[in-house]
Amino acid sequence: MLKLFLWLRYLGKRRVVLLSVAAVGLSCALLIVVVSLFNGFIGAFEQSAVDAIGDVVLSPGRKFEHYDELIEQLEELGVVEAATATLSAQGLLHLDKGDVRAVEIWGIEVQKRGKVTAFEQSLLNEKKTPTSISSEKGIESYIGVGVLARPDEKTDEYDFNAVREEIGQEVVLTTGSTTLATGGSVAGGQGEKREFRRTTMRLVIADAIFTGVYYLDNRVVYVPIERLRESIYPKSGPIAGQIQIKLRKGCDMEVALAAIRGVWGVFASERLGWEPYQIQSAMIESASQLQSRYVVEIRKQMGVLLLIFGVVSMSAVLLIFCIFYMIVETRRKDISIVKSCGASSVSVAAVFLGFGAVVGVAGAAIGTGLGYIVTRNINAVEHSIGKLLGLKLWKASVYMFSRIPDTVDWAGAVPIVIAAIVAAAAGALIPAIIAARTRPVDILRYE
Amino acid sequence: MYKIKLAIRYFFRRRISYLALGAVALCVFIVVVVMTVMTGLVGDFKKKNHSFTGDCVVGTESLVGFVYYEDFVKILGATDFVEAVSPVINSFALANSEGAEGSVGLEIIGIDPVLHSRATGFAETLHYHGDDAAIAFQPDYDSNLAGCVVGVELWLNRNSKGEYFYDSSPVEAAISVTCFPLTAKGALAKAGTDVVNTKTFYLSDFSESGLARVDSSVMYLPFEDAQVLCGMGGPARRVSRLHIKFRPGVALEEGCQKVRELWAEFSDKTSSEQYAGLLAGVSVQSWKEHRREFIAAMEKEQTMMTAMFGLVGLTTVFVVFVVFYMIVSHKTKDIGTLKSVGASNCDVMGVFLGFAVLLGAVGSAVGAAAGLVFLRNINSIEGWLFERFGFQLWDRTIYAIGEIPHRMEPAMVLVVAGCAILSCVAGAALPSIRAAKARCVESLQVSQI
Repeated sequence: MLKLFLWLRYLGKRRVVLLSVAAVGLSCALLIVVVSLFNGFIGAFEQSAVDAIGDVVLSPGRKFEHYDELIEQLEELGVVEAATATLSAQGLLHLDKGDVRAVEIWGIEVQKRGKVTAFEQSLLNEKKTPTSISSEKGIESYIGVGVLARPDEKTDEYDFNAVREEIGQEVVLTTGSTTLATGGSVAGGQGEKREFRRTTMRLVIADAIFTGVYYLDNRVVYVPIERLRESIYPKSGPIAGQIQIKLRKGCDMEVALAAIRGVWGVFASERLGWEPYQIQSAMIESASQLQSRYVVEIRKQMGVLLLIFGVVSMSAVLLIFCIFYMIVETRRKDISIVKSCGASSVSVAAVFLGFGAVVGVAGAAIGTGLGYIVTRNINAVEHSIGKLLGLKLWKASVYMFSRIPDTVDWAGAVPIVIAAIVAAAAGALIPAIIAARTRPVDILRYE
Repeated sequence: MYKIKLAIRYFFRRRISYLALGAVALCVFIVVVVMTVMTGLVGDFKKKNHSFTGDCVVGTESLVGFVYYEDFVKILGATDFVEAVSPVINSFALANSEGAEGSVGLEIIGIDPVLHSRATGFAETLHYHGDDAAIAFQPDYDSNLAGCVVGVELWLNRNSKGEYFYDSSPVEAAISVTCFPLTAKGALAKAGTDVVNTKTFYLSDFSESGLARVDSSVMYLPFEDAQVLCGMGGPARRVSRLHIKFRPGVALEEGCQKVRELWAEFSDKTSSEQYAGLLAGVSVQSWKEHRREFIAAMEKEQTMMTAMFGLVGLTTVFVVFVVFYMIVSHKTKDIGTLKSVGASNCDVMGVFLGFAVLLGAVGSAVGAAAGLVFLRNINSIEGWLFERFGFQLWDRTIYAIGEIPHRMEPAMVLVVAGCAILSCVAGAALPSIRAAKARCVESLQVSQI
């Protein structure tokens, strides 16, 4: 009770202590914002992959036939909710006079894709499974919003009304494929002579795609897989380059990957007649495994930044030391009186250590609150700074996403809060020892 | 004189001031190290962009390009401030290397290698023909074949030191390049028949500009070939851009302004020509304006980092404030004595502010010296960490960064030191005012002593 009374008294009377609370709060807020932004970015990065390609990707490294049978077998597995095939190619899209873009073409199963990815949610007009349109004008296509329009230089936002006006327009896509010069299958093999054959496809824009992920919005054109196959591999039957898989909720990733590998091994061996080395070279990975190399780098950068700010935040510990030293120096009489009333040295030290911890708790609470407010409003803050200075700090073309992640990472904030309290107590340690060593007889004698 | 003496005396006698010194030194050390690395990265990036672009660019974003460029090149060539001009074709293409299953969409840049090397740093980016750019498009294995220079990142991988695995000579490889030919009106050329042009080129060299986006997406082709592939040949020949290098001594903005004036005059004169409409979208930009989309992002990050350090640096101001508050509290007798022998309020304030300047200067010197030592060894420290623990600040197989920048800019160090001294003065201001306001009669009365 005495300790609590003294803590409150010092907090109220020694206003200089508020400086240390402010310093702890400032450092804490900064670290929480940094950790939330980075982890939010990593989360968005990983989620964008799941939204774009599903939970697991099976990529054999070469085109393969009978993919519908493989999908059927995969969907019979208890861990797989749905699977869909894709076929990709590169192309040049002629949008208008003098307007040509280099694009990536994804041949997709339009009706099924929404069950595996967030394709439907990313459609600008139709937020549901698109009904296949059969147009005499050309092949239905879904084009990234950034391919159709450029974001505003200052706001980095798209004019969606202008994009909607593009829907229904015809565009020309040039792509191509390699074919065997003499005989052989499209799947091909080593040592075969190949030559490039170009193809032109007339497309009609069925809808625009806005995912918020810069690369997908600026580079990708989706067309029905069969129409793409007919254009670039006209002599072949249905083929796919990749199978994208959605897992059931709550299933174990490792178990699911093992089950998928098993199905793939049997299918490739029995149905495709592939050699064991070809089967094993297939890449079967989760979306997060595909991103892991980059996620590691982002985490490393976050670690370095936290280390730098953490070291600079050591100033707050020095500040607490100075303030507590000053308090101890000026409160020697109080300390002596407390001791002369029977308080032990440990109790006196505990008063100051506890007070240090109180400062840490108060600073961490303020810092957490401040960090929460800044993180949750980071887009508004960025918008205001941009308006004030006339520049856009966050651009999708640089940071991949159109919005700054604004979710507070509480798991990351907890260690910071604990570190703040421990650091504040550590700053008070030496003054506490000095206080504990005070001898009442030296201080209270009258000379 | 006594002010200096007292400041020095307080500095050495009051050990608590070492704490403030430590806080200032720590801050200066961190800021100097981070700013040196960031400034180095930004400076290097700008230098590479300047080298890639030249000094000035006259061009259009439209893939149709613009006409009458030859006349304007002649006008520029006749001036006394232009050293070199390089006409450039810029478009997109599908490239397919022999034996590969798929094609890759990339950016093609059609150039005359000699002219382009005069206007930009193109020759320095070549791996095999850096000393003779004239033969950049002549494959070593058969000089009669049409060559192409490929962005190194499109072809080769980097090792953990960020170095590419080059062969002793370029590998023999045929790359078929397919383009959209566009008419001067922007429509597809050869519409209704075959809307694309294809030609096979042979790998003759690699270009390593150090700009990741360029090296991973650009292929250089001979100017005439690129012009035909993109449909820019024929009677109304077109280009996408003119890259210009100014003579030594010509200031960037001054040179760009002169080019703007010449271009305005030229556009006026040709306004009645058949294809004059294509000149409307042409702009004249300095290399900084031309590459601002890329440079601005890095500069903004640097600014944000500086702002964050400024915020954290506030804590140092608090530390200085507390230390001075303590010192002033303990030195009431000194203050009283000084005032009793005639020192004015300003003199007393001067003693403590001088002390703050001394603290800031010494703290900055210590921090900067520690930063210098650390920066000198930063690459060997990273090398040691990589050897022992596999830790690299940047994974060189992912990032196009060579060694960590470690050259301290004296101007930057002076600015940081200046800010540190100002922070110390700011922190010491209130305690100094309190000292100045102290009344000697109160400080020296027996009860206080």
